Amino acid sequence: MKKFKRRLSLTLRGSQTIDESLSELAEQMTIEENSNKDNEPIVKNGRPPTSHSMHSFLHQYTGSFKKPPLRRPHSVIGGSLGSFMAMPRNGSRLDIVHENLKMGSDGESDQASGTSSDEVQSPTGVCLRNRIHRRISMEDLNKRLSLPADIRIPDGYLEKLQINSPPFDQPMSRRSRRASLSEIGFGKMETYIKLEKLGEGTYATVYKGRSKLTENLVALKEIRLEHEEGAPCTAIREVSLLKDLKHANIVTLHDIVHTDKSLTLVFEYLDKDLKQYMDDCGNIMSMHNVKLFLYQILRGLAYCHRRKVLHRDLKPQNLLINEKGELKLADFGLARAKSVPTKTYSNEVVTLWYRPPDVLLGSSEYSTQIDMWGVGCIFFEMASGRPLFPGSTVEDELHLIFRLLGTPSQETWPGVSSNDEFKNYNFPKYKPQPLVNHAPRLDSEGIELITKFLQYESKKRVSAEEAMKHVYFRSLGPRIHALPESVSIFSLKEIQLQKDPGFRNSSYPETGHGKNRRQSMLF
Amino acid sequence: MVTPCLTSPVSPAARVGRQDNDQNLRAPVKKSRRPRLRRKQPLQPRNQCPLLGDSGVRDLFESPSSGSDGADSPAASAARGCSPLPGPAQQLVQLDLQTFRDYGQSCYAFLKARESHFHPRESLARQPQVTAESRCKLLSWLIPVHRQFGLSFESLCLTVNTLDRFLTTTPVAADCFQLLGVTSLLIACKQVEVHPPRVKQLLALCCGAFSRQQLCNLECIVLHKLHFSLGAPTISFFLEHFTHARVEAGQAEVSEALEAQALARGVAELSLADYAFTSYTPSLLAICCLALADRMLQLPRPVDLRLGGHSEAALQDCLGKLQLLVSINGTSLTHMLPLQICEKCSLSLSLK
Repeated sequence: MKKFKRRLSLTLRGSQTIDESLSELAEQMTIEENSNKDNEPIVKNGRPPTSHSMHSFLHQYTGSFKKPPLRRPHSVIGGSLGSFMAMPRNGSRLDIVHENLKMGSDGESDQASGTSSDEVQSPTGVCLRNRIHRRISMEDLNKRLSLPADIRIPDGYLEKLQINSPPFDQPMSRRSRRASLSEIGFGKMETYIKLEKLGEGTYATVYKGRSKLTENLVALKEIRLEHEEGAPCTAIREVSLLKDLKHANIVTLHDIVHTDKSLTLVFEYLDKDLKQYMDDCGNIMSMHNVKLFLYQILRGLAYCHRRKVLHRDLKPQNLLINEKGELKLADFGLARAKSVPTKTYSNEVVTLWYRPPDVLLGSSEYSTQIDMWGVGCIFFEMASGRPLFPGSTVEDELHLIFRLLGTPSQETWPGVSSNDEFKNYNFPKYKPQPLVNHAPRLDSEGIELITKFLQYESKKRVSAEEAMKHVYFRSLGPRIHALPESVSIFSLKEIQLQKDPGFRNSSYPETGHGKNRRQSMLF
Repeated sequence: MVTPCLTSPVSPAARVGRQDNDQNLRAPVKKSRRPRLRRKQPLQPRNQCPLLGDSGVRDLFESPSSGSDGADSPAASAARGCSPLPGPAQQLVQLDLQTFRDYGQSCYAFLKARESHFHPRESLARQPQVTAESRCKLLSWLIPVHRQFGLSFESLCLTVNTLDRFLTTTPVAADCFQLLGVTSLLIACKQVEVHPPRVKQLLALCCGAFSRQQLCNLECIVLHKLHFSLGAPTISFFLEHFTHARVEAGQAEVSEALEAQALARGVAELSLADYAFTSYTPSLLAICCLALADRMLQLPRPVDLRLGGHSEAALQDCLGKLQLLVSINGTSLTHMLPLQICEKCSLSLSLK
């Protein structure tokens, strides 16, 4: 603890100097800028250089663009309220030129109109800059951002930034709160010990780890930030979404450690995913557990959908399960993107097995119902022990779907007959087969529910919210519907996991499933 | 499905892409570790080819003006140079009223409650160099840029929010301001677009004034300063919400509501560029833009201003400023809008 305190005081002292130097830098810069009029005049219209007040500015502001040409398809928004209110509407105001931004202040912006590709590249197109401009050196840039002169953010800089964050004098309370949080060890990599690697992808490596703070196991998802395109989209989406999602059936993001080269997301640790779980019980799950898992999927999903978050990549591998049987949705990297391509941004292959037919046929229309098809597929897989539509290509996937559910026609799926992709595939006319033949262990209520998920027309699919009220779940009792969001369904004494009939205890080493090294942690 | 405009039939990326599919016949689930392909194509604006569903709020609410269905609203799709892709859903659904019934109100309540948390206040008040004027200029540039790339209105709203919130945390020099603009755009697009613009394209737009390293560093700093809180409620969302709400309540025909939404979006775009409007929350701006659009289109049953639960004073204040804004930017507005809507609306009326 002493050590801790010493370190804290050190950092705090460090912080002051940094703050001071930062503000000095900024000030110095402002002066430089103002004296350096030939290069970059901050003001061109007689405004005193020291005036930064918004009010005076509004009165000075005089609209930056010259006379609009007759037709500007991508016209530039020129006039601003301030100018309108402060200035008489005469022509002269249009002639004043501002150069401090160095983008199109010479009136070139009016040509920001074309739609051809050349215009993006050409300096006179959308490229709103003066032709003559000084390339800002890296050193300059860092200064301007009030950063140290070294272009590489030095090691540990971001951490310091976090502690000393606000360059503007913000209330002391907030500052000290942040410092104390980091004092305990939040936001620091030292707080976590890596134990073993669990998996690796193009952008991220996942480790099992332990938090020194709580001694709990954690999953550390280490995302490399140094890419040609900057921070990966999946990381940005996942972090910004998961920060706001707090629910018993959604994996908890405990902490974010942001260093200059990588971003580590600290998640709660769950023993296995649904795929491993099914493997471990020889693909014969207790039907009661199927019901509990399905209910938890729907519960987590309904919470997301109420917040305008779609998961879009539901599959057994993304559903994590702990030893209590609590199921949590994970991997929100695809959430919220407009469409789900067969390749992600990083060129990773996305499984097609759980993707709805409307999406496979090229619909770019996304609503919450796109997640519901996948729920149906996963429900079937849990109940029958095998994937419902394990297609390898889009055509194969559609073929498998149509062979079971019947090739759609204009009657069964209005609009499908005019879909070009559908016409091109020219599928044989299959008749729908009774689902019960393929999942004989599912009772009639289960079959009715799964049918509601597997609707061709997305708007006919049952919503997660509605599905939770389905009669299939009646046996779970009424109290399950009234639980607060953050409370697990297993907090109710009537909700208990059953032993799966196919479960192979880890004491039988013969299983041949060597990869399931973690199965012994369950039960 | 790979969006067609990104890979021309002859492009190496497309060919290899197809091979990838075949190679992964057996293991569709495992993530491939193949290094990602670089497109060696010249920079092209995305909207040369139709990009659909370009409304960022499309996740829940699809509407023709969001590009997901051009069938009954040629105006909206023509405006973005999009032609509707054939797809069963696109021909059928105009507004996703079913989803709206399921989740519309809870989404609205959730985002409305978060609005103030994400609302930047006086983002320029402490900036030594960046002024409302330079902000207006930057956005007047970013708006055509976002259109050129075929990006959604949602992306634009998020860009502006990211920019303004970053400005409240950090002093930025005038000559870095453009870099901050494209960085904010990149971060916004990475959240909601399938194909965000490439860093190279963004750098080219700035005429090479900045380096890749600078952009990536700034991205990192922005993410850090904003603590990855990026999912702000947007005008775009509220516009679609109110549009669904009025149609669902039977207060407007679908076609009317969609036209009003398209016009309101144009007005909202104007307001984004003006610093004076940063003091209003997105939901207030959305309802006022919609009300103004109704007035300009002379709709028989204008939208109920009280839908958003704002005070009468705030509504009148915001509406008045918007009218003024539209009146001084009438020409800009007409160029931004689809012809069909321009013909219908009367810009002069908005001044009454």
